Amino acid sequence: MEELSGWGDDFFWGSVVVAQVFIVSLFLMVLFGLIGAGAKLSKNRIANNIAAAYTVIFRGVPEILVLLLLYFGAAIALTNIVQIFDPNIKFLDIPPFWVGSFGIALVVGAYATETFRGAFLGVDPGQIEAARALGISSFKTFIYIQIPEMWRLALPAFGNHMLSLIKDTALISIIGLNETLFVAEQATATTGKPFTMFIVVGLIYLSFSTIITLTVMGLEKYANKHLEHGR
Amino acid sequence: MIVDFSLIIDSIPKMLTGLSLTLQLLFVSAFLGTILAIILLLMRISGRWYLQWPAVVYIYIFRGTPILVQIFIIYHGLPQFEFIRTSIFWPILREPYGCAILALSLNTGAYVSEILRGGILGVPRGLHEAGSALGLSVRQRFIYITTPIAVRLAIPAYSNDIVSLMKATALASTITLLDMMGIARTIVADTFAPYEVFISLAVIYMILTLIIQKSFGWFERYMSRYLKKEA
Amino acid sequence: MTINEGQPIIVLENVAKFFGKFQALKNINLTVAKGEKVVVCGPSGSGKSTMIRCINRLEEHNSGRIIVNGNELTESEKDIDAVRREVGMVFQSFNLFPHLKVVDNLMLAPRLVRNTPKPEAREIAMKFLTRVRIADQADKYPAQLSGGQQQRVAIARALCMNPEIMLFDEPTSALDPEMISEVLDVMTDLAEEGMTMIVVTHEMGFARSVADKVVFMDQGEIVEMNPPVEFFESPKSERTRLFLSQILTH
Ligand SMILES: Nc1ncnc2c1ncn2[C@@H]1O[C@H](COP(=O)(O)OP(=O)(O)O)[C@@H](O)[C@H]1O
Ligand SMILES: [Mg+2]
Repeated sequence: MEELSGWGDDFFWGSVVVAQVFIVSLFLMVLFGLIGAGAKLSKNRIANNIAAAYTVIFRGVPEILVLLLLYFGAAIALTNIVQIFDPNIKFLDIPPFWVGSFGIALVVGAYATETFRGAFLGVDPGQIEAARALGISSFKTFIYIQIPEMWRLALPAFGNHMLSLIKDTALISIIGLNETLFVAEQATATTGKPFTMFIVVGLIYLSFSTIITLTVMGLEKYANKHLEHGR
Repeated sequence: MIVDFSLIIDSIPKMLTGLSLTLQLLFVSAFLGTILAIILLLMRISGRWYLQWPAVVYIYIFRGTPILVQIFIIYHGLPQFEFIRTSIFWPILREPYGCAILALSLNTGAYVSEILRGGILGVPRGLHEAGSALGLSVRQRFIYITTPIAVRLAIPAYSNDIVSLMKATALASTITLLDMMGIARTIVADTFAPYEVFISLAVIYMILTLIIQKSFGWFERYMSRYLKKEA
Repeated sequence: MTINEGQPIIVLENVAKFFGKFQALKNINLTVAKGEKVVVCGPSGSGKSTMIRCINRLEEHNSGRIIVNGNELTESEKDIDAVRREVGMVFQSFNLFPHLKVVDNLMLAPRLVRNTPKPEAREIAMKFLTRVRIADQADKYPAQLSGGQQQRVAIARALCMNPEIMLFDEPTSALDPEMISEVLDVMTDLAEEGMTMIVVTHEMGFARSVADKVVFMDQGEIVEMNPPVEFFESPKSERTRLFLSQILTH
């Protein structure tokens, strides 16, 4: 394990980058998922179709292709725009962090769209009717009845989406993000110990996955408390 | 921005020369992965801890780490060891093709095993009881009752997993393989026209996804024919 | 009258059953003679299902003895198999194998357990389908039948193994009212042919006309056990009286 000495810091900061990407993309993923689900559930035909196209595209195309297209596509688009002002600029580097977070959130958001939609439709209409019949306003019914129930229904799949996100952060190294996999490649180049380095990356990701899994398990237990049998 | 149609027309046939490699990666890994999944599943339900535990740990590790890291560990990492380079597996592990198949199979095996387990857990308990009450042995119940029903229940998730596997084959391009994704990347490197090339490729992948989904949809309907109310 | 008539074929002695800390059966004693028909009733959760499921070892009892047709139920796989071959069971939710046609549902166990050749198994299956008056549905899948038809198939499926004893766990509770009698008729036929039967049911008309004795269970115990006339006309225990008043007046 000597060969690791000197790389500890880099792996640590790489892990911090992974965590940052995860948090940013988690936020975006929820946003895309909610917008997608809202569009799918809306009565507006155009919104329906756009949302359908969104889910079909991003669930049917490899993540790496999405990332490369966004990265190079955005770079070219931005370069073109900047060249209008300063024709001397040849190529504009854009930050892989933001493109990458946006890209993996788009992909996983397409899956989350279906999860949120399913959860919304999964709430027993009888519960909503019962609440309305008791004279509870539709807004309060939504907040106090529908949302908690949707949350409970969506949680297991949502946990899987979070795991997808954390694992997809590794792909962002392909467009040059300085995260753990990227660190391992550099470390390999100087130490000549690829196995050691990549195993470290694997262990880092396994730790992240474990934390997410345990968190979701805790949340599920909390959300399903009322379903436990008495006695 | 001007779309270069001649480039699209040029690049599509070039990328399609990688189709055969993409499909090989897909089919061979799906086949090997499914066999591995069945072995893991049998270990998990064996009721013997020394078989259960290794399977659980295996599944946990392979589902908890990014497939890209797994590919790198196998392709870049294993040659670190002398004993691997002198082993009989070296002809396979030396080639990126062998490494990609190995990584994709090992990864899919973990996921599919969980999917099959889900199918088994979905078989109503009453059917096991009916089988027991008729005097069927554990093995007979598993073969004649559990398996056919579990397979039907597992098809939708299995179909999704095969789509994921298809998307993951694109990562073979990161270890120098010229599948469709690999070819697209070389074309983009030459022409620097990411939009034309990558969007065309996205369409090709979407068509493949559609074919996979339709085929499994058909298979599921076939397997569920007995649930229709009318003959 | 055969020599065996009147001999005990099922004996439960001081049987207790726990689910974790919860005691579902307490000190159950029950003897069923060959050819006898026993109806078991009692409130929901009183342990009726648990008791009859112990008889073919779908549940394991924790103490006491259960002897079925001379075989004591212990850990021994062999004895369990022997008992299951002699005991047919019909469930509330039918539990037909959805992926097998009706006739294949009936042929499965004879072929696998008794190694009956296919043509013979088919013959047996058709014989019992005819007996439950449903032979014309042999090549359909369970999902294509009504509830009453499915339950009759389930009865025929159990009969194909030529059991000495038939257990019924609320066979008509999941049925639409208009289908109950078609199932009860089949069960009455079976009773008249001399089958030993334990039937968990709340169909009191069936109990009156078919049962040799009625067992009332509450909170895991057998509270009362009497021939139907006595049971219905002069129930001894307060709990029985309460239960009967609830079930007969609605
Ligand atoms: N598998 C089980 N695990 C835990 N408790 C059970 C189980 N099966 C039955 N019970 C409990 O045992 C009691 C008796 O159940 P059961 O025999 O099904 O009653 P009945 O058939 O009379 O309605 C009930 O309180 C039930 O909740
Ligand atoms: Mg019951």
